[in-house]
Amino acid sequence: MSGIISTYEPDNSLKKGYLSIFPEIWKEVKKNRWLIYQLFKREFSAAYKQSFMGVLWAFIIPVVSICVFMVLNQSGILSIGDIRAPYPLYAVLGMAFWQLFSRGLVASSSSLVNAGSMIVKINFSKKSLVIASAGQSIISFLVQFVLVAILFFYYHTAPSFTIVLIPLIVIPIMLLTLGLGFILSLLNGIVRDIGNMLSILMTFLMFLTPVLYAKPKTGILATVTNYNPLYYLISVPRELVLMGTISEGAGFFFSTILSVTVFVACILVFHLTEARIAERI
Amino acid sequence: MDDDTAITVDHISKKYCKSLKRSMLYGVVDIGRNTLGLSSLPQHLRKDEFWAVDDISFEVKKGGTLGIIGPNGSGKSTLLKMLNGIFWPDKGKIAIKGRVGSLIEVGAGFHPLLTGRENIYINAAILGMTRKEVDEQFNSILEFADIGNFIDTPVKFYSSGMFVRLGFSVAVHSDPDILLIDEVLAVGDKDFQIKCYQKMYEIKKRGTTVILVSHNEYTICEQTENCLYINNGKMKFLGPSEEAINIYIKETLEHRRKDFTWEETDKLPSSKKAEIISLEFCDQNGDAISFIESGQELHIILECIMREELHHPIFGVNFYDNSGFMYCTNSDYENVSFEEPLLEKIRITITIPHLHLPTNNYFCSAIIAEESVDNLIDWHNMAYRLVVGRARKARGAIKLPTQWEINKT
Repeated sequence: MSGIISTYEPDNSLKKGYLSIFPEIWKEVKKNRWLIYQLFKREFSAAYKQSFMGVLWAFIIPVVSICVFMVLNQSGILSIGDIRAPYPLYAVLGMAFWQLFSRGLVASSSSLVNAGSMIVKINFSKKSLVIASAGQSIISFLVQFVLVAILFFYYHTAPSFTIVLIPLIVIPIMLLTLGLGFILSLLNGIVRDIGNMLSILMTFLMFLTPVLYAKPKTGILATVTNYNPLYYLISVPRELVLMGTISEGAGFFFSTILSVTVFVACILVFHLTEARIAERI
Repeated sequence: MDDDTAITVDHISKKYCKSLKRSMLYGVVDIGRNTLGLSSLPQHLRKDEFWAVDDISFEVKKGGTLGIIGPNGSGKSTLLKMLNGIFWPDKGKIAIKGRVGSLIEVGAGFHPLLTGRENIYINAAILGMTRKEVDEQFNSILEFADIGNFIDTPVKFYSSGMFVRLGFSVAVHSDPDILLIDEVLAVGDKDFQIKCYQKMYEIKKRGTTVILVSHNEYTICEQTENCLYINNGKMKFLGPSEEAINIYIKETLEHRRKDFTWEETDKLPSSKKAEIISLEFCDQNGDAISFIESGQELHIILECIMREELHHPIFGVNFYDNSGFMYCTNSDYENVSFEEPLLEKIRITITIPHLHLPTNNYFCSAIIAEESVDNLIDWHNMAYRLVVGRARKARGAIKLPTQWEINKT
């Protein structure tokens, strides 16, 4: 018989102090790796099993958005701007990095609500649930990279060798996604408005961030983009794939610091308050 | 916490909010306060809040068993969820030693689109098993669930019985130190139920601490040593299961609604050749009672008025338990004949030397019939009540009335 004693009392985590929280979180995640994998598999199957197209839907959404943009550009309704690479390549890459954020955030913020019936019946690691949901966007990211490879082949260009740095350079955007996912899943569990608000906000943010168009040189949008951390987190990896250079290193650096801060703060809040979610969900 | 104590529950309370919108608001406020390092002041009730579980304390020794009984909405499930760590108490403290397994609802977390095999792994992971444990137990899980080649079919196409069997099978294989059970044994067919009880017995024998929540007095008595009776979130009694059950049945007597009325009596021919006046239960001293321990002597006193002479009159008393079973006696069965014509007011005393009825809260009917039991003259349908409590040192549903003889051969 294992001698581990669990205690439950009100404001339990407050009594332990902030410092002990990080090792606790680390231990929990490490212990639950297999659970995270199983939950990941569960959600993945839920999304694609009863569908003929399955994971191919990850192709279709960016292709349709890009086609719309190309049509709008051609008819002069909006201007994509000055891009040094073939536009479809630029746009698909942009969408891939953007969806890593947007899909991940939408999935993770609804993770606790979707698993509501499970949460009120079984006591298991809720962090694993959020992580597994946020991880769903990695699958569509990988699928979209197949599309990227096809386009490189089609345009007879080769990506820069710095493409191997992708797993490293997407860490900041993934931390930001996961961090926001933690806090929003918690709030969405209590107040369902969060989920609806988020899907509207995501559409808005996509048009506000130069994902499918080049960064404007003047105007309000240019100023906003300068202060938009998402822009740096998307454009720097994209530039790295297309050109092999980083021209906005400082912006990326500060965005990375911001992402890490958000992640740490959010996981802390989640850990302190996750015990309350079951009774409110 | 002592070495041989598995669970210590120390004055715990839990509050719930009746209003959804307020519950949302309170949730956000509590999270906000905790984030800022402030206490959420759980000991105070805000508007629309009430104590669903109120100041409950108990201890369970390692390998001990505790039943929890109480009417609907008394806080049993909330208490169980707090023991499981799903809900946290607002006051007091719970300390639990070892791995906790729960049979609160089997098959929670099953995904309908995934096959039984895939769901076994996922469910086991959620229940806290490691990959190695599942690999080792996999065949045993499969064998216990007994769903044959459906194992590679999506769970969506399972019958509800198969679904529950698979869920139960995974849950009992998680090998917990403490097992929390919430009336799930009431599912599946008879064969599977027997299998479940056998498994539970096996688990208990292994030294697992068991907490069982049930409405079924019989299950509680058979499966647990001690029992906690709660009502309206408050502790009413904690002690040996038999005593707890007797107190529970007695106290809930007043709450059990009388669903049946005299309506059907009115449908009888209005001629009223005979009429029941009263029925009374007495103990061996002749004192009127409404509670009796199973196996004790019972006298039923039936008073009637006979206005006309009945051709072969039949008198009877039926007992109905809360699962719809009927136990009955009547003068026709017993071949009681009445030599002189019964007229005017009569008093019939039926003596049951040993009332071997299972523990339950019975509704009783009194009947007068002519020639056959179906030809009713008067009928007081479920108009009387008798609580049968559990006899001391009893095992099983009833003690069999027997005669023993042991001889040297």
